[in-house]
Amino acid sequence: MTTLPLMYGAAAAWALAALVALAGGVSRPGIRACCVLSGLGGAAALAGGVSSLLSGNSRVVTAGGSVVVGTLQLQPTSLAGVFTALLGLVAVATAAFVPRYHQPGRVTGLYLAVYNLALLASLAVLAAGNVVTFLVAWETMALLCYLLILRHMRRPRRDEVAAGAFWFLALSETGFVLIVAAFVILAAKTHTMQLDLIAARAHLVTGGWRDTAFLLALTGFGFKAGLVPLHVWLPEAHPVAPADGSAFLSGLVVKLGVYGIALFAFRLLPAGPAWRGILTMAAGAVTAAIGILYALNERDIKRFLAFSTIENIGIIVTAFGAAMTFLAYGQRLLWAFLLLAGLYHVANHGSYKTLLFLEAGVVEHATGTRDMDRLGGLAHRMPRASVITFAGTLGIAALPPFNGFVSEWLIFQGLFQGFRTGSHLVAILIVLAAATLGLTGGLAIYAFVRGYGIPFLGMPRTRQAAEASEARQPVAGPALLAVVCAALAVGAPVVLTVLARAMRTVTGVELRPVLLPGNLTVIPAHTNFSGFSPTYRAVFLLAVLALAIPSYRAGRPRAGSMVAPVWDGGMVAFKPRMQYSAMTFSAPTRVTFDALYRPSVSVRRASDDPAGRSGPVHYESQAAPVFERYLYRPVIRAFEWLADVVRPIQSGDVNLYLFYVFAAVLVAYLIAAL
Amino acid sequence: MPQWFLRGLRRGVVTTHYPARPDASAATLPTPPAFQPEGLTAGLADRLVAVCPSWALTRSGDTLIFDAGACTACGRCRTEAPGAVVTSGEFELAAADRDHLVKRIPLLGGSASKGSASEGSADPATETTQGESA
Amino acid sequence: MTGAATPGRSVQETADELRRRVARQFGRSLHIRTLDTGSCAACEQEIRLLAAPHYDLHRLGFFFTPAPRHADLLMVTGPMIRAFDIAARKTYEAMPGPKLVVATGACALGGVYQPDAFTHGGIGETLPVDVWIPGCPPSPLALLQGLLVAVDRLAEKVRDLDFIQNGGRR
Repeated sequence: MTTLPLMYGAAAAWALAALVALAGGVSRPGIRACCVLSGLGGAAALAGGVSSLLSGNSRVVTAGGSVVVGTLQLQPTSLAGVFTALLGLVAVATAAFVPRYHQPGRVTGLYLAVYNLALLASLAVLAAGNVVTFLVAWETMALLCYLLILRHMRRPRRDEVAAGAFWFLALSETGFVLIVAAFVILAAKTHTMQLDLIAARAHLVTGGWRDTAFLLALTGFGFKAGLVPLHVWLPEAHPVAPADGSAFLSGLVVKLGVYGIALFAFRLLPAGPAWRGILTMAAGAVTAAIGILYALNERDIKRFLAFSTIENIGIIVTAFGAAMTFLAYGQRLLWAFLLLAGLYHVANHGSYKTLLFLEAGVVEHATGTRDMDRLGGLAHRMPRASVITFAGTLGIAALPPFNGFVSEWLIFQGLFQGFRTGSHLVAILIVLAAATLGLTGGLAIYAFVRGYGIPFLGMPRTRQAAEASEARQPVAGPALLAVVCAALAVGAPVVLTVLARAMRTVTGVELRPVLLPGNLTVIPAHTNFSGFSPTYRAVFLLAVLALAIPSYRAGRPRAGSMVAPVWDGGMVAFKPRMQYSAMTFSAPTRVTFDALYRPSVSVRRASDDPAGRSGPVHYESQAAPVFERYLYRPVIRAFEWLADVVRPIQSGDVNLYLFYVFAAVLVAYLIAAL
Repeated sequence: MPQWFLRGLRRGVVTTHYPARPDASAATLPTPPAFQPEGLTAGLADRLVAVCPSWALTRSGDTLIFDAGACTACGRCRTEAPGAVVTSGEFELAAADRDHLVKRIPLLGGSASKGSASEGSADPATETTQGESA
Repeated sequence: MTGAATPGRSVQETADELRRRVARQFGRSLHIRTLDTGSCAACEQEIRLLAAPHYDLHRLGFFFTPAPRHADLLMVTGPMIRAFDIAARKTYEAMPGPKLVVATGACALGGVYQPDAFTHGGIGETLPVDVWIPGCPPSPLALLQGLLVAVDRLAEKVRDLDFIQNGGRR
């Protein structure tokens, strides 16, 4: 069992990296040393995660404790294996990215220390063996992430940064309250704080308590994961955090929310009524659709990627919800299969989203802007960055033969088998969820054609874009992630084998024979449904190329050819302003879905001269912030009203306070007497 | 059944068979003029040059140069001198060379000027164009 | 389209022969791209009628195409206003060889407008023209004849006309 030593090694490396950062962050060698340690820790965590996938749940280890917090226990599990491996991967990639991205200085030193401690806290969350460890690690991780987001507080955009970080903290804390409540219910009902004992005694948590605990956990972890309407912190916090901070947030921290949901849904409270699963699935489907629709409305690259994260989290949670529904109807194979598919998507999304956020940071440093409409033509100026971003874009758009396609195919195939539940209504609901995911898949391709095409292709729209340079920009970290994306695609059979082994531990279902018969074909849990083979497809594609290219060469006319400029309609000069802008490219969605966006449009012109000579016209269109306006603002106002009601208690009058003491003592006596 | 289908069956094929057979509507087309040299004096030629709106006529000595390419078949030259100018009826005027469209029409009176009201001299180097004669 | 003179033949004869050979290549199917260099659109109305059932140029193997890359023949109307020079050259150069240019209408042939600050007064100095079709506008029949002359399926008639009416035939 090598899992525990690897995790200890990772933890030690990260703690050491934090110290090195504090001490040496003001110098370049200091930063480099910190990053080397951080990378080593990441490699250890990656190995530890894979090891726990393969070797099953470790034993429970008591790691000390105190009277204040209770005992701290650790137990790396198979369920957390994918997340741990992803944590390691993100750590390695960001470690390779940081030296060229951050300038040495005192704030950088602090930032890197906080970052490594956040990695350590995340590892502790994933390896937590009891409730107390989990909660302490969770809260530590949240506070450290808050500090991460505040990295750029000294820049001119202080207020934005502060607001973004505050949204993160506020929603994180709200979620934390709900998570604590959920764990308290479980611990009270099963009379233990140890997670594996809770899982073993899950039957003691009955009926209403079980469902309440699950709902509290779904909502509480949903705040962190970014389920709609609990997602509003994501687009606020991601743009203002530094690139590797955003990558960490989107690549890992939201996955911790997903891990929490998976923990409750598949380990602690697996058995339950079908409506739990249907509710989760519906929440996931709505999240996915709304996420991508809002993504299409964004010009800021990081806000766009944040909404895309929300979309992918929706896909994963839909898979989990459908898995729970299948279990409620006795379909154990599909239960395990959809959990596997969801975890595969976690790994895939972690890789390519981290890549995209790191590259967004590179672009921001090279051009000074995150606004897509000020970029353009970066493929010529920054070829390496554009190739790497393209690899990530192909993955996230779920195009075959890349890794996003594999996991989404698995999820879709699982959802399409909804008829096996035997209930017409449930089957229809599952198909509706699949249809919603289909819509989001199509919109995702649209969104990423825009997200890649507008900044990287075409002509530069501003001088900043025309002068962008990728000299001295980090490339090793994102390149590594691009290789990992390719590996996850090409090595799909290997990944599926490893995940199937983990599923045997988590669910007790032997998936491998109904997943990979004969090693080359992937089938979705039942042999009579469908199948595809990544290997045969790769061979087929190569054969097509092998036939097509020589045929073209042979059939090409021998006559001399002429090189002529691209036919542009005979225009005198093609100007950058004639290109699509990001917002006009996505205008069809705004027209179709305007009931969702509810845009407010304002047009100002200098004068009313009808001949158009009045000067520039100012056009502004903004999607209504529906969640802030209709959910958060009323809740906040309610709390403010409540606070106003309660304020008279604090009158400042000492006599009144003495009266409170007297009244409390009186009430205490009365209660004791009765 | 749709009306157009029935109408088509009644009327039959309306496509012209041009160029295999002549098209009946060709007779109604406006066409460039043809000149009758026995009615073309130098003075008349200068008036025709002045009245052409498209610079299709110029006079060079005792030749009227008619550029069939520039002609718009407006008919003003025919209105000006109905005795000397008639419609040619030719509409198949495509030319592979621009010079094939420039025709020289001899004027009445030859090279010997009999003291008539012509403004131009017998010298072939003199050209009367629309701009000068107005 | 020019060719070097071979011994025993003049440059003009060689050029004619070359043009005829190329024109024969288009005998069965020709793609036409129309170009309006500033015309009043009367020529365009007549060109448009070519696709109508009465004249139907498709039965002769001619087709209209908007893309110069797919075109064999450039049908130019209008007096070539100077602002259009670049677009006209670009359109011509975007056509792959072999290609033909047909000047259509009196404006393109040099009538109606004299050269001035705004217009060339004809397309002859901007584009190399193969066939000239007079008319204002040329009727669809004249256009068909011009196209067929361009692809060498009809002989040119106007060369032998003298526009002299002897004895008042009409």
